Amino acid sequence: MNKIIGKVTATERKPTTIDEFYFWTSKDMILTPFDVIKVSHINNSITFGVIEEISHITDTQSYLNSFISNDFGDVETQTNTKRIGMNYVKAKVIGNTKNIYIPVRNGEQVCFASAEEIQEALGLDKKNIKNPLVCGYIEMYDGNDKGVKVSLPVYFNSHFLLGPEGAHLNISGISGLASKTSYAMFLLKSIQQYFTNEIEKEIKEDVAFVLLNLKGRDLLAIDEPNENLSEKDKAIYEMLGLDCSPFSNVKYFYPYSDRNISNTYAQKKDVQTQLNIEKAYKYKYIFEYDKENLDLLFSNIEDPNQTMESIINYIISEQGNFGNIRNWNDFVKEVGEHCKAGFSGDKEITVSSWRKFKRIIRKALSNPIFAQRVSEQDKEIRLQNAVKNIRKNEVFVIDIAKLDEGMQGFVFGDVIRSVYDLQLGQFEEIPEEQIPSKIIVFIDELNKYSSKDIPKYSPILRQIIDISERGRSLGIVLFSAEQFKSAIHDRVKGNCSTHAYGRTNAIEISKNDYRYIPQVYKNMMTRLKQGEYIIQNPVFRSLLNIKFPKPLYKQFK
Amino acid sequence: MEKISNCIVKETRGKSYKSHKYCFANDEIPNIKYENEQKITVKKIGETASIESTKELRGKAKQIQKISKPLFKYFLDGSRKTYKVDDIAYDRRVYPIIAGQIGVGCCERNENKELRKNWIEHQKVIVLPNCADKDGSGKLFFNNLVMKINEHPLLKKLDIKFERILSYADRELHEGEKYENLGIAKIQDEMIENEKKIVDRLTSKNILNEDSYLIKDGSLEYQKMKTGNFRDLSIIKNNYRRVVGVSKSFNPEKCIDKRGKSNAKIIAELKLYHRTPAFMYESTRVLNVKFAIWYLRIRDTKYTISPFDGILKVEKILITDKEQEDGLDTEEVDLISANLINERNPVCYGKDSRWANHLYPVYLTEAFIKSGYLSNGFFINLF
Repeated sequence: MNKIIGKVTATERKPTTIDEFYFWTSKDMILTPFDVIKVSHINNSITFGVIEEISHITDTQSYLNSFISNDFGDVETQTNTKRIGMNYVKAKVIGNTKNIYIPVRNGEQVCFASAEEIQEALGLDKKNIKNPLVCGYIEMYDGNDKGVKVSLPVYFNSHFLLGPEGAHLNISGISGLASKTSYAMFLLKSIQQYFTNEIEKEIKEDVAFVLLNLKGRDLLAIDEPNENLSEKDKAIYEMLGLDCSPFSNVKYFYPYSDRNISNTYAQKKDVQTQLNIEKAYKYKYIFEYDKENLDLLFSNIEDPNQTMESIINYIISEQGNFGNIRNWNDFVKEVGEHCKAGFSGDKEITVSSWRKFKRIIRKALSNPIFAQRVSEQDKEIRLQNAVKNIRKNEVFVIDIAKLDEGMQGFVFGDVIRSVYDLQLGQFEEIPEEQIPSKIIVFIDELNKYSSKDIPKYSPILRQIIDISERGRSLGIVLFSAEQFKSAIHDRVKGNCSTHAYGRTNAIEISKNDYRYIPQVYKNMMTRLKQGEYIIQNPVFRSLLNIKFPKPLYKQFK
Repeated sequence: MEKISNCIVKETRGKSYKSHKYCFANDEIPNIKYENEQKITVKKIGETASIESTKELRGKAKQIQKISKPLFKYFLDGSRKTYKVDDIAYDRRVYPIIAGQIGVGCCERNENKELRKNWIEHQKVIVLPNCADKDGSGKLFFNNLVMKINEHPLLKKLDIKFERILSYADRELHEGEKYENLGIAKIQDEMIENEKKIVDRLTSKNILNEDSYLIKDGSLEYQKMKTGNFRDLSIIKNNYRRVVGVSKSFNPEKCIDKRGKSNAKIIAELKLYHRTPAFMYESTRVLNVKFAIWYLRIRDTKYTISPFDGILKVEKILITDKEQEDGLDTEEVDLISANLINERNPVCYGKDSRWANHLYPVYLTEAFIKSGYLSNGFFINLF
């Protein structure tokens, strides 16, 4: 028999309904929103509920009553009797063992649930979840007697995270406090292990990963172990059925730097070590092959008359002298020619438009990643070439942290365009069996590329929308993160099957995106600790408050 | 489905009038005869020390709160709800059928300053005129009748049981007297009997002692102290050794001194946390039982509506011969008074108009008892 913690109360004002019920409990009973409780129901069935709100009441009728009860405002007053008080709890019905959904009855005892019952209630029983992919763990009844507390792994059905049933993950939360990257990496590690697991090898699916490193050296040593991982965290990984090794099959791609400009926060010796063991490459952009990506430099530029687009088309279609150009320097010179007063080129494009175009590209093209050619001996590579050759189970980390915002967008746009083309079979030279069936792209700061403020014709935005809408069937899965989910384009977040909410600020949760979330959960979002998330996935019967352990890979302080 | 009143009519060979059913409002209850309104004539001082006027106990109250646990651990209250459920004719007379719900309960205060149930009992009773028993079999008839009523399918279905059927006198009424009041009085007697039973229970368990007193809501001077199962005076005396009766309401005009003058002014002008001297009082209702009675102000008059709000009437039965002779030890009077002062908070302001005179644990006990009643609509419609 589980511990009885209270009784259901159905009142005139707050009746029990198909969806919810209330119960009273002792004011000292430690409960938390998201805890699962059970109630006996008719036909020997059990109804499970998830705690949504906990209120404490006394028979104090008003504040005035309280004031009077202290001898009319004497703060030193002590009483012989405590006011009668209790907690009452609102619980949301999440299931019944016999699918009976008539309201639970007044006076029924409310109990803690056992681990098995919690799994059944939340639909977390691994045996009943197809393609189980661990996504964290839940803890319940914390703070109660020993033996009552329950810790359980939580599994996604991978088909609802990685397709074909549902795809894409969106993680939101305050920078630093929400550990968005850590949670994404935890999930990616879980996915990598899932697809490399001996037992799972029978599955005819495979996956590859493309991660963009946007902050410092965050993701530049994900194949090196975290020396500071505590025993407690190791035990959690064991409970979750994950090994404690870091990522495997990792390749790093650093933006090419020359003597004057360093394009990465990684230390030179570390990069050199990785280059020596063929774990890292330096990527470059070559005019001849990459001029078609020039539009990506204009992602965040308002272009209401589409003059920039016209210029790009002019260049790509090799009009004027652009057909004879083979390097970026000549390209800039040729653009310069078009900027001269009285230049007689395409009459539809004004000189002032060419000048605007030049202003935008000149700064970008001064970066050494725009180069004449690549040298394979020096481990230099074109990023598109690298991406299109990604193999099953490989993890590509593309460092863009030190690039300026426009360049970051350019590289990201190029990567997703390459992934998209690869999955669409646009690279004829790549044999089909070599192409991973799924490629997961992880990008932080999604708001930079697909916020509501981004110009409608931004090529990156269009690419992201396309991936979020069609990626599920193409095998492109977007793991994205941002501070403010409310700022993200509706079509992008609307197509995400899974949403993870880390610590979020109060202004953000007042936005429409959070309207359907119960107020208490919203308030909890503002207090979530690092390593804690509220998860929404179509497989779960309600929102889940999950936790995850510290990262397995090397952390730079 | 047939109602209970039909069953009563059938079994007692009467005629029902299907009269309007209603619950007697509390202010209609003729309890004037039973509590609080007896004329209190002060025979002599009811405590060992001679106190000229009033005595201030604020210091003592503060001191005992610091150094000792509260004296009062148990709180007793009884309440009843009465209903007119039908009129019934026997011969050529028409009598009301009165029904009632009686609740008596005792709460105890634990170390954590929280109230917990010690005992609670709810009873449902019906009161019929004596003449409902046409053969004059008395108790036996009414016992049989209640058994038959309890076999009624409606009650079986609802799992409700009537405890007993009481009877009121079928006699000529005095002016202003009503049969309804006779019936209600029977229910009141039954409630008092149940209260006495609880005190007896607590005493027999030896849980009332010098550190654990009981506050009984209302006067201790039961009119029918010498009747019922607990009529033995010596038992009653022993049972009430650690029981203090605290009345919220009293008629100050009924408190007169030896010269027959009203004491009301003294009581009205009692200062905050002062008590009057204890008076010794011998009930005219219960011979040979003497009481010590005093008044205590627990709320400042500036916060109350009338000068008598915030004053408690405190009663204690004098047990030993010495007490009966010299009165209650002044130390004990002070201790009881100081502890009552310490019970003044919290208050039930906003919930009960008598908040200034209510003691919170007693108020809670009352609320606890009332929470166990069937709703008026439900109860009435059994008939």
